[in-house]
Amino acid sequence: MSYEVTVEPTGDVIEVEEGQTILDAALRQGVWLPFACGHGTCATCKVQVLEGESDLGNASPFALMDMEREEGKVLACCCTPESDMVIEADIDVDDDFAGYPVEDFVATVTEINELSPTIKGIFFELDKPMAFQAGQYINLKLPGVEGSRAFSIANKPSDASMLELHVRLVPGGAGTTYLHQQLEVGDTLDVSGPYGQFFVRKSDQQGAIFIAGGSGLSSPQSMILDMLEEGDSRPITLLQGARNLFELYNRALFENLDREFDNFTYVPALNAPEPGDDWQGFTGFVHEAAQAHFNGRFDGNKAYLCGPPPMIDAAITTLMQGRLFERDIHMERFVTAADGAEEQNRSALFKRI
Amino acid sequence: MAAKKLNIKDKYRLLTRDLDWDFSYEDRQQAFPYEEFEGIKITDWSKWEDPFRLTMDSYWKYQAEKEKKLYAIFDAFSQNNGHLNVTDPRYVNALKIFLTGISPLEYQAYQGFAHVGRQFGGVGARVACQMQSLDELRHVQTQIHAMSHYNKFFDGFQEYSHMHDRVWYLSVPRSFFCDARSAGPFEFMIAIGFSFEYVLTNLVFVPFMSGAAYNGDMATVTFGFSAQSDEARHMTLGLEVIKFLLEQHEDNVPIVQKWIDKWFWRGCRLLSVIAMMMDYMLPNKVMSWKEAWEVYFEEAGGALFKDLARYGIRMPKYAETIEKEKEHISHQAWWTFYTHGHVAGFHTWIPTDEELDWLSAQYPDTFDKYYRPLWELAKEMEAKGERFYNSGLPQLCQICQIPMLFTEMDNPNQNSMRDYLYQGERYHFCSDGCCDIFKEEPEKYVQAWLPVHQIFQGNCGGPDVGDILKDYYKMNVGHDNMDMKGSPDEARWNKWKGVA
Repeated sequence: MSYEVTVEPTGDVIEVEEGQTILDAALRQGVWLPFACGHGTCATCKVQVLEGESDLGNASPFALMDMEREEGKVLACCCTPESDMVIEADIDVDDDFAGYPVEDFVATVTEINELSPTIKGIFFELDKPMAFQAGQYINLKLPGVEGSRAFSIANKPSDASMLELHVRLVPGGAGTTYLHQQLEVGDTLDVSGPYGQFFVRKSDQQGAIFIAGGSGLSSPQSMILDMLEEGDSRPITLLQGARNLFELYNRALFENLDREFDNFTYVPALNAPEPGDDWQGFTGFVHEAAQAHFNGRFDGNKAYLCGPPPMIDAAITTLMQGRLFERDIHMERFVTAADGAEEQNRSALFKRI
Repeated sequence: MAAKKLNIKDKYRLLTRDLDWDFSYEDRQQAFPYEEFEGIKITDWSKWEDPFRLTMDSYWKYQAEKEKKLYAIFDAFSQNNGHLNVTDPRYVNALKIFLTGISPLEYQAYQGFAHVGRQFGGVGARVACQMQSLDELRHVQTQIHAMSHYNKFFDGFQEYSHMHDRVWYLSVPRSFFCDARSAGPFEFMIAIGFSFEYVLTNLVFVPFMSGAAYNGDMATVTFGFSAQSDEARHMTLGLEVIKFLLEQHEDNVPIVQKWIDKWFWRGCRLLSVIAMMMDYMLPNKVMSWKEAWEVYFEEAGGALFKDLARYGIRMPKYAETIEKEKEHISHQAWWTFYTHGHVAGFHTWIPTDEELDWLSAQYPDTFDKYYRPLWELAKEMEAKGERFYNSGLPQLCQICQIPMLFTEMDNPNQNSMRDYLYQGERYHFCSDGCCDIFKEEPEKYVQAWLPVHQIFQGNCGGPDVGDILKDYYKMNVGHDNMDMKGSPDEARWNKWKGVA
């Protein structure tokens, strides 16, 4: 049994298991809420309940006072939902966030391509157009697979009646195994979306650096196609990391864009090229390619990272050492069953990274 | 989409941050004269992100409610003679250290934050510091009120404020804060706001307050909880300060690192008194100092420094020594107080056999080897009527002002001592950590007011130690000091409990 908790003012929706605290669920699902002590004594994680029932847990009477309890305040670190809830937290709404409503769609498979030995491109037609921001994701319901699976949208928002997804086969992953091995053209799937806070901060005038790894190319592809279509003139750089030449997919697309647009630069990087690849480009991890390309200085840009957690972590470290900080780093972590759920003892220093 | 609601950030901006003003006829630099002299470069105060958004009106509302709750509990504690419910009267001696050594630091924190709150050019930082300043004033007041009940029944509380300013071992916490307050405003924030509040306060409030709960002291537990609800704001302020400084300019990174090195070392030295309170002074133990250190410093601090590494900040200097010290410092500190029990403002004792066994179990690598034999010897001597007191005045470290009681961590049989010649004078230190701090700013530390030096110079009355205790420290000699065994505290407790 689990409950849906909507976090206002951003509208993020998190799934909270029976007995799980709101804070724990939010942090695990990449939704940041202010917190400090984590055990009900400090009140940093105080939020207002707008709808729904909950158990207040072990909140200290000094951290959550009687008058606040009467006003419907709870401490997210102790509070466990007893129904679906809507809460309001002390978090900022991004001015660039369009806030398109989440809707349900029926998607029919129109095409399945092999992008690389491990990644398939899956194209759908939607029963109605979906309004979304480039960089956001959808949830797929798969037959015989419990829960839903999240995939970033790879097509640009102007192609609103279709969906392009890049799906990497995760060893032992039920969802991606189904998509790789059983899905066929003509099949229909239930889709909901759009979700997520990963999108281009267009009101910011700084240059845009995209760092993508594996199937994490999907979001940047959508974001870059969208910007170029709109005639965005800021410098845009895409750094794409892959293991070897076979895994470096959609290379021709971006090489063509690089030739066509003066403000777009494409930097592919292979960390383990095969002898047969005859690779002339950058050899090394994608964060190393970024460091080399920008001479280790990133200030004056905004960075958008998309890919597996180790790539994201390495990229953040490189960017911060090059004087680009949290407020200018945006990311989508592709966490899969293969990454496990190892407990990370994290400090409260960073909010989102 | 519906119009966006005024969120908490906007409310805060309109009600608080808007209170700033521009300088039209005065020079801004002259209005904030301390902002630059530490070498810190602030390029853009608008990048300051408010660590918490509390408007003044809600601040008063919340704090008033907390006070109401807290004082209701104090009243009940007092009416029910709550002091009779503590596990053992020895426990009360930990409170004597708390009131004389730690509560006055809250007062110094109040003064310090009021000062820096005036000195920052950014309004967000100013407002946050002013609120913290008010919190600290509230903390010292509630602590004094909580302990005033004990003052009616036990010795050693009556002159806490006077004693804080003069007594030899209380110069350790006092000088720590004086050092921070006489530094520039940014160093103060790294010293107190970051190093002390974020990383080290948890070690005071969490295990020690649990200790109070384990020993039946409801009043202390309650002021602890009440203060902790403010600490969160202090911790997030400390975090914002360090992020802000590190992000503002890369030239700030080595300066901040130097302050982290200094204040973590200073903080660890200061915490040796908490270590001793936990291992020796709480009759019902919560956890050993070593265990508390592992949970609250090594794990939580380790995660923090892992994140700070992204800014180019490394673990504090001497982290390896600090790690080894958790096995030793509580034992070395309590042994020193035991052997100087005649000049302490609280009672000391030899741990019971059961407590010695507990210490052996908690410190399997060090206690039986180095410390248990000392206590067995003390027991023997006491049984023969030869209770040992060290009658000399100890040499103090020029920086932390702790007597030279610590040993080399790789050789616990060897006292750790360092010295350094500066302008023809030789200065002495307990460790490389303290010696390095001196070398960095010798002009500051040659001015240190060292209690033992002052006694020898005749500035503290005397000439007899007894006169100094009585007249200069205002100790009630024969009541406040010496062994727990045979003390008036013990006699009164036995009378209340009907024990012969």
